[in-house]
Amino acid sequence: MAGSVALYFPQRVYMESVYVGQQAGSPVLQLHAMADTEQERPRFFLCWSNMLKPQHYSSWFTLDENTGILSMNKTLDWSDFSGLSVSANSAVPRTHGSSGCGGSLSVPILISFISATVPTCNETKLSRICYPEKEFIPHIMENRPPGPFLQLQRLTHKDLCPNFTITYNIDSGILYKVPAPFMVNGNTSELVVTSRLDREEKEVYSFDLVCTVTTESKLHRYFVPLVVNIYDEDDSPPYVNGTDTEEIVIEFNRMKGAVFGNLLVYDKDTTPIYPKDQTHNKFEGRLMTNDSWIKERFSIYHSFTEEKLIFGNIRGTVHKYLILKTNILATEKRFFQLDYLVNDTTFPGPKATLMLHFNITLRPVSIHFPSATSLFTVSRQSTAFAQIGRVCVDNCLKFHGISVVYRLVPAEKNSSALERSCYTAVGITPSSSDISAVLYIIHTEPLQQPECRKLHFTLEAQEKKTQLQAKTELVIQFNGNRSLEDDCPLSCAKHRRRWPCETCGGLGAPTGRCQWRQGNGKGVSKNYSTCSPDLRTCPDGHCDVIERKDMSICPQDCTTKPIIGGHEKGLLQGIGAGFGTCYCTDKCFCENDNFPMCDDVCKTIIASAVLLS
Amino acid sequence: GVKPRRNQSHGCVLKQVHLNVTDLGLGYWTKEELIFRYCSGPCIDSETNYDKILNNLTHNKKLDQDKPARTCCRPIAFDDDLSFLDDNLVYHTLKKHSARKCGCV
Repeated sequence: MAGSVALYFPQRVYMESVYVGQQAGSPVLQLHAMADTEQERPRFFLCWSNMLKPQHYSSWFTLDENTGILSMNKTLDWSDFSGLSVSANSAVPRTHGSSGCGGSLSVPILISFISATVPTCNETKLSRICYPEKEFIPHIMENRPPGPFLQLQRLTHKDLCPNFTITYNIDSGILYKVPAPFMVNGNTSELVVTSRLDREEKEVYSFDLVCTVTTESKLHRYFVPLVVNIYDEDDSPPYVNGTDTEEIVIEFNRMKGAVFGNLLVYDKDTTPIYPKDQTHNKFEGRLMTNDSWIKERFSIYHSFTEEKLIFGNIRGTVHKYLILKTNILATEKRFFQLDYLVNDTTFPGPKATLMLHFNITLRPVSIHFPSATSLFTVSRQSTAFAQIGRVCVDNCLKFHGISVVYRLVPAEKNSSALERSCYTAVGITPSSSDISAVLYIIHTEPLQQPECRKLHFTLEAQEKKTQLQAKTELVIQFNGNRSLEDDCPLSCAKHRRRWPCETCGGLGAPTGRCQWRQGNGKGVSKNYSTCSPDLRTCPDGHCDVIERKDMSICPQDCTTKPIIGGHEKGLLQGIGAGFGTCYCTDKCFCENDNFPMCDDVCKTIIASAVLLS
Repeated sequence: GVKPRRNQSHGCVLKQVHLNVTDLGLGYWTKEELIFRYCSGPCIDSETNYDKILNNLTHNKKLDQDKPARTCCRPIAFDDDLSFLDDNLVYHTLKKHSARKCGCV
């Protein structure tokens, strides 16, 4: 049940200094332990970090079992300090427990031994008489009985200035409209929480403490800010906002790991992430089905985040539930309801569980082509690796987790050897996503033959796992005449200038000519100037399946070698951005044409310009 | 002790100049700077019979229009890579951009 914490310390550490000449019996500091129930009473013990071999100064201190006041057992003298093997200010960790030293509940006490006599009243600042150097950072558990939790007075400085009176208050300035549930006990100078607190109402109380010192002549006031954190426990049940049912249709996306549905469960409690093994506000879930078909294919993915705004600016938790899927065949078809039981394991009340419902419709996917015949027209000038087009079954762009294999079969079986050789001109290759395929020119020799003007194929598509099939007729027609250019490099990317680029052909050019892209020439840019076989596919920052077949087609997208000149690398390979003009021989170079090499044509133009002027 | 003789600007040596990255003319927009080291100086000392013969042949116009390259002062090792952040907060790394050691090759 909630409140299994029992007693707790409202501070994480206690610190004080002791001096030479500190009297036996004088108090050092006071501990507090907060109770879980009204009946609980804390008892305090000193324990030592190394219980088998306590330090020699362990007998110098004593802790009052009932009040929690730590005081000196002996008067410290100079020789005591020489025995300490550490430097002048030494911190000594100590623990103390409320249920004997074996118990888990303890808090460290750090004592600094100052090898000097206690400062006199005149030597001490008044603010130091009021407060210790280190600020208080107390915390209080919600829903616990009220009581004192902090000693404000510096007990070591209590009798330092006998002529002064020191009192503590909470500042009730106009800034704090709602009175904080805290007060100071005037007799003991203890800070007291006056009522049970609720974290879901207010997480942090911050106010000022006032220390008033009355000397013979004056009245001094010292203000310090105090922040009291309210700690959370699981006292809120989970709930849904609106619906607990989600309708899900699964059709084209059948990929393993795809997520569907989005049901949110709210809880006003916080859910800490560390330490990992804790149970606070932990949610457990269970799939309410015995159907092994469902269990093999679906699971629930649970995540949670901390939100503030939707809970009225107080931290709370939003749990998210999604359906996670493994491979589902294209032919599978079903409708079912998936129930999921959510259990807030540490909530003590009866409403700790709630049920979520996912209504899942699983539709089958069929494979067919959009039309009975597809026609592609290609220039007879096309060079090898020129892309003719993309083939794809209906809705294929929506497919995920469905793999389709395409095959190209010559339609006419009884043809002459020459006619059969025509069909070697065209090839098909699967795209990287395994859903569509690309038609491209393999051999250019058949394009010169008049017999090869029109090619009739049967295009077959087959889904890999289910063997679903579809067929269509595919006609490829070659238009125009073929003329061969001379003395051009194999790769368009070698050209550094527009004129030779556009007069030459190269691998992968569907028109038989390379194309020039003119960049804007400002700095390193994605839109750099370059020569490409087909500006639709190169350079587009993506090395596609055809470009992958030969490095000369589009090295701008596909190069893996270092690039020389101003550039940014592409995501996986190739040039992401370049400066000026990028061209590639064996390696790629990007450079600006600030110093144009003057060819013969240019020299003539300049010469005639000089003559005319 | 004997003072080591200094080969002052005698032949092919490493020189350095302090530049802005934008001075390199590579198209990067940035305010970062670098020390650029380069090789400079004559390479007459390391010439061989081969170079003398080439020199004579070109002088006597026995090689038509051909002008084969002569020994020249070039880096034989490069400085470490240089990384910098450009004005659009993109990192770039220059490799083999500055000389570490020079030689007549």
